[in-house]
Amino acid sequence: MIEIETLSVRFGGIKPIDQLTAMLSAPVSGLIGPNGAGKTTLLNVLSGFVRPVEGAIRLDGRSLLPLSPLQRVRAGLRRSFQTEQVVEDLTARDNLAALADNVASVGERSRTTDRALDFVGLGSVAHRLGARLNLFERRLVELGKCLIGTPRLILLDEPAAGLTDEEGARLRDLVLAIPDAFGAQVVVIDHDVELIRAICAETLVLDYGKRLALGRTETVLADPDVRRAYLGEL
Amino acid sequence: MNTQRTLVPAAVPLAPEATVRKPRPLLAVALAMAIFSAAIALFANAFWLSALTSAMALSLSVAGVAVLYGQLGLVSLCQFALVGVGGWVTLRIGHGLQPPFEVSLLAGGVVAALLGLLFGVPALRLRGLYLALVTLMLAGAFQIVISAWGFPDGGPGFLGRADGVGRSMLARPALATEAVPYFLYCAVIATLGLMLVQAHKITRPGRAWALIRKGETVAIASGVNVLAYKAWAFALSGFLAGIAGGLLAGNVGQLEGRAFSAFESLNLFALATVGGAFHWYGAVIAGLLLRALPALLTDLGIDGYVTIGIFGVALFHALATAPTGIAGQIANLLARFTRGGER
Repeated sequence: MIEIETLSVRFGGIKPIDQLTAMLSAPVSGLIGPNGAGKTTLLNVLSGFVRPVEGAIRLDGRSLLPLSPLQRVRAGLRRSFQTEQVVEDLTARDNLAALADNVASVGERSRTTDRALDFVGLGSVAHRLGARLNLFERRLVELGKCLIGTPRLILLDEPAAGLTDEEGARLRDLVLAIPDAFGAQVVVIDHDVELIRAICAETLVLDYGKRLALGRTETVLADPDVRRAYLGEL
Repeated sequence: MNTQRTLVPAAVPLAPEATVRKPRPLLAVALAMAIFSAAIALFANAFWLSALTSAMALSLSVAGVAVLYGQLGLVSLCQFALVGVGGWVTLRIGHGLQPPFEVSLLAGGVVAALLGLLFGVPALRLRGLYLALVTLMLAGAFQIVISAWGFPDGGPGFLGRADGVGRSMLARPALATEAVPYFLYCAVIATLGLMLVQAHKITRPGRAWALIRKGETVAIASGVNVLAYKAWAFALSGFLAGIAGGLLAGNVGQLEGRAFSAFESLNLFALATVGGAFHWYGAVIAGLLLRALPALLTDLGIDGYVTIGIFGVALFHALATAPTGIAGQIANLLARFTRGGER
């Protein structure tokens, strides 16, 4: 469970996140909002790359802000990036092993890497170089990296960007299966409302760094304020 | 979502085979070096043996540059200064304490590693041109110091300098006092050094370096301690340079301060680029360019300084058409005969 209390971030005179308070407890939650709403900034605060000027964040009751980004990774926080970050000259397996090196014990590294590879279905291309993976496989590598070790919170930033409908559906099934298989909470940021509707039990909507709505995804997406601000309906 | 299947992301084109570093089994390094070294030991005369011994030693220092540039994208222009540091310490320990050559050599490597780590401190904050400038200034500082101090030659005191008849040569290792055995000795150590680098590339440090090269944010998000792995790369690079310096000292028994100008560090980096910083044999090629090509020109009666112009053209060619260097082009050729893409 993620608890955010009166969180504010300031970049010079701009406040991309302004007095945000929210609690996300669903196994798979969504984070949406128009461009510039503060979604990626919030993700960066959660992963430790941006320090807020005030507020608090707790993951399963443990305060996150005192932890460095590295400590957060070791505490089970995983994230993917908007632009996939597969290393071209490492194999698919080594891309995952690179994370296992740092978050799993020596005896556990191989097992956790193989488990993640099997889960995302990359076993057959495990020894293929990153440069030779197609986009879907690269997205799966990114997802697989998030499953290494003992993940507790997985932040997925537009995980289905650029995928076909068929690939998106497969990715959706995988994301939905993560909480049960790995015991981790997942937060998905995406502009694809249908993806959010399909996999997220609850959704937080940001607008100008403030909370516009939070609750069951269907309820939130039907909210007139959300439709006006985010979906462009008048 | 797109309705068309995207096979390859537009922003990340497939890399040509040769630009993709595929770590080979360490055995391949040992085997190739054994064949190469045996051929030289059998056919080279005394003149060529001396040049190729130096080339073999310097390939280690190039391998160190390749770790920084090829693995982390960091431009360090003080590598030849670290070769000098390794040579200085090897000579000082060797003359002062007369331990087995290996002890002096190891001491040279360790001290150069520590200094490499120190020289690398700016890299924790700087990149690109600024790092290059700072390290070049460090090479310049070493040039000034070594011009004033000179290299130890059996004298007393901290500097170990002797005058006239008091000067002595550093003894080679007991098992390799002659030219051919010493060449093979250097070849074995160079092979071990290249295998050490290769082992790093295919294990945990190599994966961490690859992530850092991808982006520090990505690396940190993957749990990589960026500072520690950068520092380790600088220490490894310095260690290899120091060992190279010690082997050079053993080759001729003494070193000359004028040979360790800041320009040599620039030259070494340029030739690491020409030889190829992404493949292990690029270091050997660069070592040969550094020492064997001038020797060849000298053998042909041409002034060895012509190599500076040749290297300039070669660097331009590498930067313009072959960024993975000669080794990359060789790898391209090899890739035509082998299955690409899979490790």
